[in-house]
Amino acid sequence: MNVLEIRNLTKKFGDFVAVDNMSLNVREGEIFGFLGANGAGKSTTINMISSLLRVSKGEILILGRNIVSDSHFAKMNIGIVPQDLSIYENMTAYENVSFFAGLYGIRGALLKERTAEALEFVGLADKHKSFPKNFSGGMKRRLNIACAIAHRPKLIIMDEPTVGIDPQSRNYILNSVRKLNEMGCTIIYTSHYMEEVEELCTRIAIVDHGKIIAEGTKEQLKAIITDTKDIWIGIKSAGSQDIEPLKQIQGVTSVRLDENTIKITSKGEVNNLNRIIQQLIKDQAEIRSVEEQAPNLETVFLTLTGRNLRD
Amino acid sequence: MNVWNIMIKEIKSSLRSTQTFIFMLAFPILLMLILGTALTNAFSSTAQIGDMQLLYSNKASNPQLIQHWQGFSQAIEHEGIQIVPAADGTNGQEEIREDRYTAYVELGDDGIQVYGSSKHAIESNIIQGMLTAFANQYNLAAAAFKQDPSKAEAILANANGGSHIVRETSLDPNKQAGSMDYYAISMTTMIALYSALPGSFLFRSERTRKTAIRLMASPVSKGSLFAGKVLGSTIINFLCIIAVVLFSLFVYGANWGDHYGMVFLVLATQVIFSISLGLGLSYLLKGDSARSFIMIFTQIASFVGGAYFPVDQRGGAWITQILPYISPLHWANTALTKIIYADDLMAAWPTIGVNLGIAAAFLITAALIMRKREAL
Ligand SMILES: Nc1ncnc2c1ncn2[C@@H]1O[C@H](COP(=O)(O)OP(=O)(O)OP(=O)(O)O)[C@@H](O)[C@H]1O
Ligand SMILES: [Mg+2]
Repeated sequence: MNVLEIRNLTKKFGDFVAVDNMSLNVREGEIFGFLGANGAGKSTTINMISSLLRVSKGEILILGRNIVSDSHFAKMNIGIVPQDLSIYENMTAYENVSFFAGLYGIRGALLKERTAEALEFVGLADKHKSFPKNFSGGMKRRLNIACAIAHRPKLIIMDEPTVGIDPQSRNYILNSVRKLNEMGCTIIYTSHYMEEVEELCTRIAIVDHGKIIAEGTKEQLKAIITDTKDIWIGIKSAGSQDIEPLKQIQGVTSVRLDENTIKITSKGEVNNLNRIIQQLIKDQAEIRSVEEQAPNLETVFLTLTGRNLRD
Repeated sequence: MNVWNIMIKEIKSSLRSTQTFIFMLAFPILLMLILGTALTNAFSSTAQIGDMQLLYSNKASNPQLIQHWQGFSQAIEHEGIQIVPAADGTNGQEEIREDRYTAYVELGDDGIQVYGSSKHAIESNIIQGMLTAFANQYNLAAAAFKQDPSKAEAILANANGGSHIVRETSLDPNKQAGSMDYYAISMTTMIALYSALPGSFLFRSERTRKTAIRLMASPVSKGSLFAGKVLGSTIINFLCIIAVVLFSLFVYGANWGDHYGMVFLVLATQVIFSISLGLGLSYLLKGDSARSFIMIFTQIASFVGGAYFPVDQRGGAWITQILPYISPLHWANTALTKIIYADDLMAAWPTIGVNLGIAAAFLITAALIMRKREAL
């Protein structure tokens, strides 16, 4: 059963095509990852699914029913966690959740129950009387989630729910996503953090320039680039390392510096590890470890889009 | 039901905003106190009820009617109204238009005609009030003379020279507007006009706070959102106005007359007008320009509409005579003054009509633009 079905979806802003003839199915019970660099068109797609933007071309079905002709049904079944915090600062956490749940027709005792349940779920039960203006970034993000789930939607769309928060809140949110999924919710998840998507999502679509350029499970995506390998070299003070000579080595397609690790992606069939190490020794780098990695999602993303997920 | 939810939310969050309290309550109450007490002296000479001059022209030939008029005119002269006979060939209506007299009366054998000056609303209302009662008897008698003079005599005898009419409708000294009375009205209507500002934020704030996303994603129609927000905002702003009126009435002892229902009706329509104006402008003008426009408009409207000092429309350049009419405050203040000081309830209806008419135009405009838009 497809919870979400997108058929030839296009969105234009004037002449600019933000989403370009996109087609996609999300099945019941999935945690579906949406990966894309800044401006790839993730939020635009999500905003069309949640009726915030009108579709230029194509159609969107929720549980088999069109979101335009059957908008009430679609809206009742979607919970949205917007990229930008969408909460009232001058209303308490409880009032926020209760107000939004009330918009879905929930009333009276049930409204109280669902509101309490949603706040409990995101770990804000003891803060229900507090105002979001006194919340930390992580707490605001959690409230942003609570406001999306109190009406128990079948499909929850999370647009970068972990942006700019502390690791503790992030773990809390990631666990919540899993729990929601176990409770039967289908989830669409976008993030700039590759690890999150890799860890969480059962299926992933890579979006670039408004198009889906690859789609599948992690394994399927990694299989696309069997002809590459990743070499991670730990050195002391990698920051001062000049990476230009490394890029010249035969077979190397990209070199990135990540704290104390030099991450090199290279063509799989070329045997160039010796040359790389020699170059580093020549540069008087203090090598601490050398690892050859199976390609990870980051490599896949980089290879397919030519861009880093995070700028 | 959703309309209700949204309305309650709107009211609740306004009640929590200190801005509401400072702007809609503290500000007018303080200004009333400052202006009302500081300007007491300067004020009494300008806002007191002015000299009342009644021009009359006698075209009646029936001596009894003339005698009846003379009795009446002596009585009102006693009350401080100057009675001036029109010279031959004077055009009485023209004299009124030229603002040389407060009212003009034409006596004839068929009856009596009264013309009031619209520029001296209060004064001319007082004279008209006295004259109406007199004119009714006079006209009755004039008609009776044609049929049966003896009946007419009976009517006139009963009227007793008209002096009792004068006593009933004569000036109540308490009804003179002092500076506090003036500013109680002018500050209240000014603050009502200021609801244009919250009106312009109604949807703009949802957009900037990004909560528009959730509202749009929820199964609530744009129509319900619109109705709920406009209603909620109207209620909360009107409550502020009521509080200001009551405060000025009980604490400052300002005169709000005897017709509270009508006074509040005028004020309610003014709040609706202002909110609709703000809301409409927030859809017609891009970005923050609606806000700037409203700030400037309310300032000018307050100034020329007599919020800070009474605008003397008599004489002066044509611009000073015309200008007040563009101010919604002028319409409201005039109506309220007539209700309070001349018991003229009918004076409220044109203002109510104009307020609601313009409000409807702005609301419809905003609703249409909103419907066409993708988001809110
Ligand atoms: N209302 C709009 N008008 C014009 N262009 C827009 C509008 N909204 C988005 N865009 C453009 O469409 C493109 C896609 O934007 P979108 O927000 O969907 O990207 P995204 O994948 O969510 O990026 P990010 O990771 O930064 O959130 C961008 O180039 C953006 O500038
Ligand atoms: Mg985005």
